[in-house]
Amino acid sequence: MTAITTTTRAPGAARRRPVPWSRLAWVTYRQHRPALIGAAVFLGLISVYLLIMGLQMNHAYAQVASCKPAGSEACLHLKNSFNRTYWGGGGSAMEAGGAQTVSSLMLTVPVLLGAFLGAPLLAREFETGTFRFAWTQGCGRVRWAVSKLALLAVTVAGVTWAFTELFTWYYHGFLADGQVSRLLPLAFGLLGVAFAAWTLAAFALAVFFGALIRRTVPAMAATLATWTVLAIGTAVAIRQHYQAPLKTTGNPPNDAWVLGSYATGPHGQLSVNQLYQQAPASVLNSHDPNAFTNWLAQHHYTLWTSYEPASRFWHFQLIEGGWLLALSVLLLVAAVWMVRRRAA
Amino acid sequence: MNVIECTELGKRYRRTWALRNCTLSIPAGHVVALVGPNGAGKTTLLNLAVGLATATAGAVSVLDGIPAGSPDALDRIAFVAQDAPLYKNLPAGAMLGVARNLNRRWDDQRARSRLAGLGIPLNKKVGQLSGGQKAQLALTIALARRPDLLVLDEPLAALDPLARHDFMVSVMETVTADGISVVLSSHVVAELERVASYLIVLSSGQVTVSGKADELVAAHGTSLEQIVLASMRESESGVAA
Repeated sequence: MTAITTTTRAPGAARRRPVPWSRLAWVTYRQHRPALIGAAVFLGLISVYLLIMGLQMNHAYAQVASCKPAGSEACLHLKNSFNRTYWGGGGSAMEAGGAQTVSSLMLTVPVLLGAFLGAPLLAREFETGTFRFAWTQGCGRVRWAVSKLALLAVTVAGVTWAFTELFTWYYHGFLADGQVSRLLPLAFGLLGVAFAAWTLAAFALAVFFGALIRRTVPAMAATLATWTVLAIGTAVAIRQHYQAPLKTTGNPPNDAWVLGSYATGPHGQLSVNQLYQQAPASVLNSHDPNAFTNWLAQHHYTLWTSYEPASRFWHFQLIEGGWLLALSVLLLVAAVWMVRRRAA
Repeated sequence: MNVIECTELGKRYRRTWALRNCTLSIPAGHVVALVGPNGAGKTTLLNLAVGLATATAGAVSVLDGIPAGSPDALDRIAFVAQDAPLYKNLPAGAMLGVARNLNRRWDDQRARSRLAGLGIPLNKKVGQLSGGQKAQLALTIALARRPDLLVLDEPLAALDPLARHDFMVSVMETVTADGISVVLSSHVVAELERVASYLIVLSSGQVTVSGKADELVAAHGTSLEQIVLASMRESESGVAA
């Protein structure tokens, strides 16, 4: 055999230089270009909508903000009309497409994007058998997998992070004077680093399920289910525990995330429901607006409201971004490990 | 030098042994036909040799003692799996680009002139190529890697007779030009008769015949096909008994 005399393979030669990452990056780009273009078009269409609506909204809000004297009847009217028109929630078509609806829909973008890009990444290779091609090339399967996952994960996180800027600008009118708390589930997941972190987590879940199930569509379904449970669970049960809530007997600040109310009295702590059960019907049905308050005072009850102040926004963002990043890295490492271990 | 060397190699999937107690040495410089009925363990043996699967028992090394699947082994062995899996949505030219960027060794000139010679347009998508063209593209990519060992798993199974003929001519041209070793598996021996210089018969996960084709023919006084058939019958009756 002639090949054995080739100098690059002389016995004891220095360690071979592996295939450079830049060349593997080209492979990733070339293979996933259609999916990346699809994702870009999807985000592009949303961007155009946010841009058009945002220009209108911010123009209208500029009038609200510059209204003098602030707090006058005319200014309040202007503000209410701004909210009615752009926040939405009413019956008309215009109101249905308001910021409230837009932000609810936007909360699903991370999982759609992540599942669409992540699930086929490894699953398609198994489905079509092309892993037999990819894993027998000179670069080796681990380097192949790491280059793909790392590049696409960084791209996904970077693009969605940039996208957050656009959304924050669009949402400005509601955030500016605390009409909508930044900590509210509807807003929190779309601001700061959360949007990018949740997209990265969806991508990592999809890659992980793709490696585990080895089929694209079931991997997408598993991602959708797991991510949704995780996202809703975090919003309703976990996020409020990042830091112990504050409580007040008065009104919480306008821009706070109000978690709930409870009462303390001579017999300990009561929920609002228990309180309503104890109060006599004459008090609950009374036409006097102060009847319930008076009844509480008579029975030595104090009403508390627990809330998270808006000043904790970045603290919460970093906690959530941190654990989502850790989870994503863990899932991607697990996927690479499965690629490494998987026998044909 | 041995291109593939197995010692008591075994591979178990869940509860069934696809390959068991397989000890063999394949010397370099041959076109080796790995023959056996479906399910005999041919693909398993090849997967172990190219590093796609890991052994449950025993050991397999390639190209004079390099562990199968190690970076050095991946570098020097080109493998075309059954049905020549390639990325269907990529044009042939981009498919070459992908392969070029996944390997340290790559002869772009060779790949392009080979495709030109075969009349396979670079801008045509892999999914739109005929079965024969796709197999030729996979072979082109494998050869552009300038391997020391070329491993082909059932390369002819999906091809029509003309494409089979052309494919084998291509393989033989390479062997003559580069002097590389080739291992190819098949469940039909007839079409390998003229090209194979070394024969291994695998049956129920075990090697039943292994040797140089001319020596086997001289010893048995029949054709390779008869030797294979006789060996398969023998192991079948052995199982029955």
